[in-house]
Amino acid sequence: MNNLLSAPARPEASVPEPARRRSRTEVVVTVIVVLAVLAAIVAGLSTHRFATIANAKAIITSASLVGIAALGLTLITIGGSAVSLAISPSVAAVGMIFLSAQSLGLVPALVLALACGILITGLQGAVVGYAAANPVLLTIATSFAIAGLATGISGGETVSPTGTGYDRLNATPGGVALSVYALVVLALILEWTLRRTAFGRTLYLIGENRRAAWAAGLPVGRTTAVAWFAAGALFAVTAAFTAAFNTSANVNLGGTLTFDAIAAVLAGGTPISGGRGSALRTLAGAVLIAAVSDILLLRGYSTGVQIMVKGLIVLLVVILVHLRAKGRNA
Amino acid sequence: MRSRSLRRPETLVPLSSVAIMVVAFALIPAYTDSAIAPFDVYNTFQIFARLGLLALALGLTMIAGEFDLSVVGTYALGGMLAVQTGQEHWVYGLLAALAAGAVIGLVQGGVIAGLKLPSMPVTLATYITLLGLTSALSGGLTKTYSNASVTLWVDQTVLTFFSPRSLLTLGLFLLAAVVLSFTRWGRELRAIGGDRRASQVAGVRVDRLIVGTFMLSGMLSALGGSLLSFSLGSANPDPGVQPLIVAAAAALLGGLSLAGGRGNALGLLGGIMAVALLAEIVTVAALPGYVTQLFFAGLLGVIVVIDAPDLHRALVRQRTRLRPEGNPTSMLSRKRELS
Repeated sequence: MNNLLSAPARPEASVPEPARRRSRTEVVVTVIVVLAVLAAIVAGLSTHRFATIANAKAIITSASLVGIAALGLTLITIGGSAVSLAISPSVAAVGMIFLSAQSLGLVPALVLALACGILITGLQGAVVGYAAANPVLLTIATSFAIAGLATGISGGETVSPTGTGYDRLNATPGGVALSVYALVVLALILEWTLRRTAFGRTLYLIGENRRAAWAAGLPVGRTTAVAWFAAGALFAVTAAFTAAFNTSANVNLGGTLTFDAIAAVLAGGTPISGGRGSALRTLAGAVLIAAVSDILLLRGYSTGVQIMVKGLIVLLVVILVHLRAKGRNA
Repeated sequence: MRSRSLRRPETLVPLSSVAIMVVAFALIPAYTDSAIAPFDVYNTFQIFARLGLLALALGLTMIAGEFDLSVVGTYALGGMLAVQTGQEHWVYGLLAALAAGAVIGLVQGGVIAGLKLPSMPVTLATYITLLGLTSALSGGLTKTYSNASVTLWVDQTVLTFFSPRSLLTLGLFLLAAVVLSFTRWGRELRAIGGDRRASQVAGVRVDRLIVGTFMLSGMLSALGGSLLSFSLGSANPDPGVQPLIVAAAAALLGGLSLAGGRGNALGLLGGIMAVALLAEIVTVAALPGYVTQLFFAGLLGVIVVIDAPDLHRALVRQRTRLRPEGNPTSMLSRKRELS
């Protein structure tokens, strides 16, 4: 009977903070955010060749590839499934499929890539949605499995395109890469879906409190699975653009995309526990991460330092978002 | 008193997985051309030594109801520091690695306990940071360790089956088993994993315990990384996700639960031995690398799905053919399983 009486653990709701301290927390959070933004601006302006149009284009182009994948991850995170750690291998596998299907023409290859992306990520989502499997561990396992399968099938070789249709994805209408337009359009569609449709509202509720959503009779499993389906489609779009940009694909096509997408989602202020966040925040987060990476690159820092700074930004934002949410809830 | 019952998952799961793997290991001559040599047993313990401390580090945080994703980052950093600062004498390298592990654990534990943050996002951020830091320290390159006498010493054969490295790892497991079973610290660790609020009310100093556990986890991972670097004679800045996959699979096979509060060091030892035996079988059978990869991914995937809470509920629902909203008993049975 002990189990009936014990309340579910909610450490963040345990001790209400006194009003004076809450306001101090809010002030500290705001000051830190303002200082960080100022520091970033100063660092940017004092970096040679940072404030140029060519560099701005480079930033939004690099933000666009990470951003589309991060939009997919946003759906997963809002729905309370934390993160997928299998983004890089999924993108690599789909990119390889996309390039090897080029002989069919651009549109069939895109459709095939989307179908494979939805299948790969959607299967994981179905397991997470219906069985409530731990998404982090599950996606660690699937990342390994996808990489293994891709290596096995491709024999570890680099896939070259079998046609030239993919090159249309590298078009730059109006001097800006096509992927940037895709990012903006997809972000707007996603934002509208999250705010205005029953699916979006359900997803927020599931992320906020899975058991309450289940008790309210909401389709928890199906909604979670659909969110992962959509994420898989967005990963496939990223894969098509990345593969087209590189004109070849191997198992390392994804690079550090998993961490970049997580960094973009969390830097946008979406809490990893779910129930909050938006597509536009992720868009901002992706641009922020791309700008910081760009500054570090222009200043000649190594890849290691770039990854480290991304990790520190994520840590800082996770703490700040948590402190602010706690300040508001109290 | 049920506590010694064999039917409890923390005893049953590791026992059965070790038993299955020992049988599979003994049957090696049946499906390969090679007979079992003492070297195979030695090698199994070497694989155990390679991953044991990482699994122990992860397992301790899992018992406390947390999940330390950063163990692989600390593992990589520890290995790199041991090589880079230990070129003159291995003691300096080991001390640097242990100190780094302790500091990382202190910071993480302090943030998680002090701000009441969930451990997953914090340790994920630390993992990314540490991979970057390790890569920055080494310039992204594998560093070699020039002190060959240390490399020979840690892997020399002792008592046919062991090496100083595997004996040290085994010793730490036994120490952890004694501490977890017979000291107040061990009981409190399971208590905060089972029901944190109740244990706080009962007078457990939860925050201090969490910080301590994360420091221990950091030091064990760093030690594991250093020993691996000494043994290989080199340090790799990016060990990939395989160590984490294998350590997580070992911890879950060891009878630990993602929900926390369950498990002991001997069960964990069983889990990691089962995984080490599997790895040795895969090596002896000379499967290609990607098949091994699929094997371990499949293993962890299956365990995670079996551990998934709603799966039991769905199965019960299927069996009783009740509608979800009218089925409070399955929720209760699930809670009882967890406790």
